Amino acid sequence: MIELAEVTKAYYGAKGQDPLVAVNGVSLTIQDGEFLAIVGPSGCGKTTLLNLVAGFEAPTQGRVELDQEAITRPGPERAVVFQQPSLLPWMTVAENIAFGVMLKAGRVGVDPHQLAHMVHMMGLDGFESHRPYQLSGGMQQRVAIARALMTEPRILLMDEPFGALDAQTRSDMQRFLLELWKVNRPTVLFVTHDVEEAVLLGDRVVVMTARPGQIALDIVIDLPRPRQWDLVLSHEFNQYKRRILQVLRPDRKSSRIG
Amino acid sequence: MGYLMPGDDEGIDAMAEASLPAAPRIRRRHLWVPWLVALITLFLWWLVTALKLFPPVALPSPGAVVHQLVVTATIGYSGSTLWADIGASVGRITVGFVAAVIVGVPIGFWMASNRVIFAAVDPLLQFLRPIPPLAYIPVMVIWFGTGELGKTVLIFFCTIPIIIISAMSGVKNVQETRLRVAQVFGATPLQQFRYVVLPSALPEIFTGMRVGIGVAWTCLVAAEMIAAQSGLGSMIETAGGELQISVVFVGILFIGLIGYLMEFIIRTIEHRMVPWKGKA
Ligand SMILES: Nc1ncnc2c1ncn2[C@@H]1O[C@H](COP(=O)(O)OP(=O)(O)OP(=O)(O)O)[C@@H](O)[C@H]1O
Ligand SMILES: [Mg+2]
Repeated sequence: MIELAEVTKAYYGAKGQDPLVAVNGVSLTIQDGEFLAIVGPSGCGKTTLLNLVAGFEAPTQGRVELDQEAITRPGPERAVVFQQPSLLPWMTVAENIAFGVMLKAGRVGVDPHQLAHMVHMMGLDGFESHRPYQLSGGMQQRVAIARALMTEPRILLMDEPFGALDAQTRSDMQRFLLELWKVNRPTVLFVTHDVEEAVLLGDRVVVMTARPGQIALDIVIDLPRPRQWDLVLSHEFNQYKRRILQVLRPDRKSSRIG
Repeated sequence: MGYLMPGDDEGIDAMAEASLPAAPRIRRRHLWVPWLVALITLFLWWLVTALKLFPPVALPSPGAVVHQLVVTATIGYSGSTLWADIGASVGRITVGFVAAVIVGVPIGFWMASNRVIFAAVDPLLQFLRPIPPLAYIPVMVIWFGTGELGKTVLIFFCTIPIIIISAMSGVKNVQETRLRVAQVFGATPLQQFRYVVLPSALPEIFTGMRVGIGVAWTCLVAAEMIAAQSGLGSMIETAGGELQISVVFVGILFIGLIGYLMEFIIRTIEHRMVPWKGKA
């Protein structure tokens, strides 16, 4: 169980400048095996929230705990898919995907079948010995996802993992992620800016306000699984979507398009 | 034709590849430009000497320099052949430079990872950096005489600040996200160093080495001109004193060529070891 209690994170800039409050008084409990989607406007502190759970940053106030113990540093049970490019350019695609396993078990500890399967599922066949700079942006992102999944972590922290993918690949990846989740039941914290994706994947969606990020809505998505693609056309689905969008864009001005 | 199934893409790939033209040839037509420039320079040089615009003691003809090259390479000049002088110079720079890299890189890494070490070494480094290495030559002569040790130590000291600084800034420029990737997977400090820090620092270390070898070579030739019985610097200094201008030209030619060659060697190693440079 992951627990955030009254968590505030402020960044202190140069002397004399006001500290920048990225996350303000967030309380959140995530059960084991839960799939939590987080949406919110750009700059509202979603990445900051993941960084706190990952253990890259310490909260300015409040507690961040995993199984009742304070999180003080990153750990292999919490795999991260970063928003920024994070592949190691000196390694091949295969070496990047196997990186986590290799650190733990050495080169011989990497199961070639598991690696081949992961490469295949990510649609990267034939690119095993390419270098990251020889891949497209979407392919690089898939390598980063594969690297996180390879270690079969208990907790998956994913920061807009499918942002750089086209619609088709994105839904392939979503299906793959859900299938994997169904089998291994990791706890997933999934940050996205796509409300539809959040409702489609999540057991629960947390909506954050603009900076300083607070929780504006915490809603359980009570839709049956396995979910079909045509779910997005259903009435219930659109009800959820409407409620979330109403929170994200409360005033008429910001919701006007044309 | 119906919808394509996932397994069918091999067919598509094969079709696409079959109709592709061969890989475009990289145009190398500009490669003759440097040769042409060299040829024109040589011709002008020859012309100036053929017209006797300058006395031959001041400017030898290309033919005289080539002749002198053969003489110094075979018979030698003032007791030693060209090869012996080149050997002496290259030997000194190799030992001094390699020692500077072996000692300097770890010091740079250490400074980047430890504030106390940084605070201890950095002021010294900043103090030494603006001093032209040539200013050390008298010290070198007084302390070590005109033997091999003095010149090797000199090269070591004029190269090592450059190497230390490049290794240090290489480590400091490690991308935070990449370090975090290793930390997420529970990498030990040694693994973080081996798989993230070291490869991140390599490009800058190589840049430092390329700058460093140039400085070291300049410094060595100057030192040899002042205090040595062998080496290219000593050869042109002696020849200058005896007004043997064509020997001086042979020396200058080889100083330039060898400096170029050493930089080229480091660049080649760099291409091998850091193929991702500039691409990530
Ligand atoms: N290391 C940092 N130092 C200073 N300020 C930071 C730092 N990281 C984030 N911030 C600030 O905190 C706020 C929240 O940033 P964060 O990256 O968490 O946003 P986000 O919700 O992930 O945005 P996006 O959807 O654009 O990725 C921003 O205003 C940002 O400028
Ligand atoms: Mg973000």
